[in-house]
Order: sequence, then structure tokens, then C-alpha cells
Amino acid sequence: MALSTTKASTLHSEDVSVWFGERQVLDKVSLTFPAKQVTALIGPSGCGKSTFLRTLNRMHELIPTAGLAGSVFLDGVDIYGEEMDAVDVRIKIGMVFQKPNPFPTMSIRENILSGLKLSGRKIENGDELVETSLRRASIWNEVKDRLDDQALSLSGGQQQRLCIARSLAMDPEVLLMDEPCSALDPGSTRRIEETIKELSQSMTIVIVTHNMQQAQRVSNQTAFFLADDNTPGGVVEFGSTEQIFSGPIDQRTNDYVNGHFG
Amino acid sequence: MSAFSPRPAKQPWSVRSSSRSIEVALASVIPFILALVCWFLLRIDYTVALVGVFLPLQILCAGYIGFKSFGRRGFMDALLLVATIFLSATVLVLLSSVLFSVILKGWQALSGQFFFENNIYVSTTTSLTYGGVGHAILGSLIVVAITTVLAVPLGISIAVFLTQSQSKLRGPVRTFTQAISGLPSVVSGLFILSLMPYLHLEHVGFAGSLALFPLMLPTMARVSEEALRLVPNDLRMAALALGAPNYKAFFKVILPAAKTGIITALLLGLARVIGETAPLVLTLNPNNATNLNPFYQGMASLPRYIYSFVNTKYPTSQERAWGAALVLVMVVALLFAAARILGRKKKLKTTTAKKKETKKDA
Repeated sequence: MALSTTKASTLHSEDVSVWFGERQVLDKVSLTFPAKQVTALIGPSGCGKSTFLRTLNRMHELIPTAGLAGSVFLDGVDIYGEEMDAVDVRIKIGMVFQKPNPFPTMSIRENILSGLKLSGRKIENGDELVETSLRRASIWNEVKDRLDDQALSLSGGQQQRLCIARSLAMDPEVLLMDEPCSALDPGSTRRIEETIKELSQSMTIVIVTHNMQQAQRVSNQTAFFLADDNTPGGVVEFGSTEQIFSGPIDQRTNDYVNGHFG
Repeated sequence: MSAFSPRPAKQPWSVRSSSRSIEVALASVIPFILALVCWFLLRIDYTVALVGVFLPLQILCAGYIGFKSFGRRGFMDALLLVATIFLSATVLVLLSSVLFSVILKGWQALSGQFFFENNIYVSTTTSLTYGGVGHAILGSLIVVAITTVLAVPLGISIAVFLTQSQSKLRGPVRTFTQAISGLPSVVSGLFILSLMPYLHLEHVGFAGSLALFPLMLPTMARVSEEALRLVPNDLRMAALALGAPNYKAFFKVILPAAKTGIITALLLGLARVIGETAPLVLTLNPNNATNLNPFYQGMASLPRYIYSFVNTKYPTSQERAWGAALVLVMVVALLFAAARILGRKKKLKTTTAKKKETKKDA
């Protein structure tokens, strides 16, 4: 399989706090996502994991009432710096959403190439890029004979892998995944997890998941988020996945990973 | 792996006992026959027979059968069924009779020359073998085309403002657009008429287009707004997450996804203005000759042509008016067909042939 020449980068958040209107939902989150590692963000619903994820590629600011303090560094450069363009940030840091969202008016091939077109880059060796991207998202064998079909003709799991392939075609340095398997059946979930493991050899991955087993299967390190009643969410514990699941330091982490609440 | 079974010819839920079938058949036929008897034999007026005999009898029969089978719920179901079928049939009859009468009275006037010639040598009594509505077809198309060119970009812009921006002005803009959609067309004509001296416009084609503009704009804006609103926000987010600037996310993702709805907006807007007479009577001088210049002298238009000829007491003139009405209907039908063909979704094939999916299980 042709692995891309992606340059993996380290992503680092420093004291990221988030508001929606006047309500603070995240308080001073500082995490480091080393290159070529998979980091899982776990925690109960409403604790701000997805919100945090969206601050990492500047999708958060698209929400009208959004507020933010702190910095996010991509290889030492603050993506919220005055000179930074949000569009450039999103090209380097790709994102896969919870619900598969292929472009309905485009074919499978056009969906893969859409990122390049939309960000105004030239398409060289389009066919090759389509094949490489689909292969990396392990969906090539299923769609290679119908690349000109409508993207919506695929099943939900295939659509999600198409969306992953669409992000991969942009050759991102970091890939953010917001509960990518929550709408999928076990078979599709397993394939996406295999894809994640393969991708982690060449890029940095941050994945939000509600599925403990999934976090254990795919991630190298895990951050446990929690929002107590009427307080903003924050990171309770951050460490290697093994440590978080087998020997957590904090009692609340222990309770959560063992299914006592959440 | 089990083999395919043939589909049963009769579905279990559609099997009825023979006595029930007879009851249903009787209930469907008896009220109709009784109504016919009242109309032909008892010489009762057909509207009275329809509303006074057929409808209550049909409701009673259907209600009785429904009640016998399912009690109160069956009665209500039967009532709803009769009401919906009766009302849709009424609408269908009304619409088709409009079309039928236009075709019936208009087709005699139609001929090759009626489509292509103009009105220069025609008086109120000239026979139908001379003259035609060619100039009026062209005039109508030019006037409406100018209105469309003005209203479509502005209408879509308003829709984009209402759906994509977060501005506080959205409320007032929406209310205002809604308000002008209720503007009587004659008022719109008067408004432009009062502006014409300041714009240094005579009663020319462009003035007519301006008078139609306030009528087309709100339809265009409101319907496109609905179309854009139906595009899931997910798609916009997906595009932005791929590094698309706002304008590209809009033109390459959101607009194509809303294309069918925006074509509908265009059609409804066209339908609103193409038959308008009052604003044109006020702002546009009629012309018997063919004039293609919207900025010089009057211009013929189909509604205006119909209006002036139907107001004479000469049979040939009235036939001309009906012919022009039929032409107008045909022009509208052609425009609609053309817009639908242009707006057809890009053909993306769906490989339906069930190929054996090669599942490689780990």
C-alpha cells in the first residue's frame, strides 16, 4: 500500500478555555498530542470533548456565540496567532464528523477531490490520488468499480470511510475524529479502527469516543474529560491509555472507565 | 444462504372476502348512479345533484361500510377518504376545464402565421388568416427576461443573507420581503409609473420590466430561502473543515445542493409575472409592430394583447384573444419544461446491479 509522505506534527493546547455566550464550558485544557500517536478523548456527554476537538482546527469559531481563550500550537506555531489564517489551519488539520457528510451532489471521485478544489489547489494525478486516499481509508475494494456513482448510494459505514478518504486526500498533518463510529455497525467500526491504526504511522490523530473498548483498541494515550454540575469541563486525567484504563490515579477516572457513571 | 422465493401475487393485507368486495363496489357505484338519475331523469341541476345527492350519499355509504368493519375509527377513515378524493377530483376538474376551454376556443386561431406575424395590418374585423402574435410573444419574453435578470440575483442574494448570515437585520428584511409579496400588481405598476419621469423613461419595455420586478422578487427570495434552509449545515461544515473559503463552500457545495429548489423559485416567480396585465397596461405602451428594443417605443405583450382584443365585440378579435391565451399557456409550459430540463440533477449513475460484495473478513 502506498503510504503518503505526510509530515506528522505535534499538536499542543495550552490553557484552552471555551465559552458559549456567557456560559463557560471548558476550563484551561492543556494537552499534548505527539506526532504519530493516537489520542483518545473520553468522558460523559456534555463535558466538552467535541467542543475541545473543534478548537483544535478552528471549527469552533464558526458557532456564532463562541468564545475562546488560550493557545493551540502546531509544531510550535500558534494556530490562533494574528498572522494565521483559519483556512490554512483547516487544510493542515483535517476533521471527520460524527455523522457521515459526503457531498450529495458529487460522485465518489469528486468527493475525494473536493477538498483540493474547495481549497483552491491544483489537482495533479487525480486518479492516483483518488486511489491512494480510498486505499488508505480501506474502502477502495468496495468502490473501485463505481467511482462515478453518487456518494449517497453508499452505505453509512462506507460513507464515513469516504469522508475519511476525503480528509486524507488533503494530506493533513493531523486528523481530528469526532465520534466517527457512533452511527455505524460493528463491522464498519472495526474497519475504521483498522484504518486509524494504519494512519497513525504517518499522522497525528485525535479521536473523541464514547466507546471505552474503542479507546483501548486504537489509542496510545487517553484524556478523561469531566464537567461537574455547574462547572466548566476540564481534563481530570491524562496519560497513556494503559495507565488510564488499568491504573487510573483519580477516583473519578476509575469510576468512569469501569462504567460506574457516565 | 437461502434461495429467493417468488413474490406472492396477492398481498395478505389486500385480501378481502367476496361479500366485502361486493359491499365496497356497491358503495362506490350506487351514489354515482343515483346522482345521474337525479340529474337526467328528475331534471335537477347538476351542481345540486353533485353536492346535494352524490356527496352525502357517498359519505353515508362509505361511512356505513367503514363503521361496520372497524367501528368509529373506520367511519372517520372513510370520511377522510371520501373528502380527499372528492376535493382533489374537484380541483382536477377545475384546472383541466380551464385548460380545456382555452384550448377549445383558442386552437382555431392557431396557424403558422399566427405565431410568427405581427399585428400591423390587422383591424378588429380582419380575418384570422392575417396577422398574429409573434410580436407579442417576443415582447413578453423580452420584458419577462429583463425582470428575471434583475430579480434572480437579487432574490438569491436576499435568500443567502437570510440563511447564511447572523445579522440582526434578518428579521426586518424577512418581514419586508413578505410584505411586498402581498403588493397588488396594479400598485406596483402605479409606483413605477410615478417614478418614470425621474428615471427619464417613456412607456417602454424596460419600464414594464421594472413594474414586474417587485412582483417577482419576493417569490424568488422566499422560495430560494426555503431551498437554502433545507441544505444541512453539516455540508457547510464539511466544506469549511476541508479548508474551503466561505464563498467556495457556498458556490460549490451549498448552491448545487439547493439547485432544484432555486429552479422552483425561478418557475414560481416566472409564473407570477408572465401573465400580469395591470402593471403593463400602466407602464408599457402597446405596439402593433415588432419591437425588440426595450428602451425605445412601446412593445407588445401577450397579456396586453389578450386584454385589448377580448374587449372588442367582434368575433374574430375575440378568437384572436383566445388564440393568444392559448399561446401564452404554451409559452409558460415551454418555459417550465426548459427550466426543469436545465435544472435536472446532474446524472450520477447508481450501480444497481447487485454485484457479489467481496467481503474480506479478518
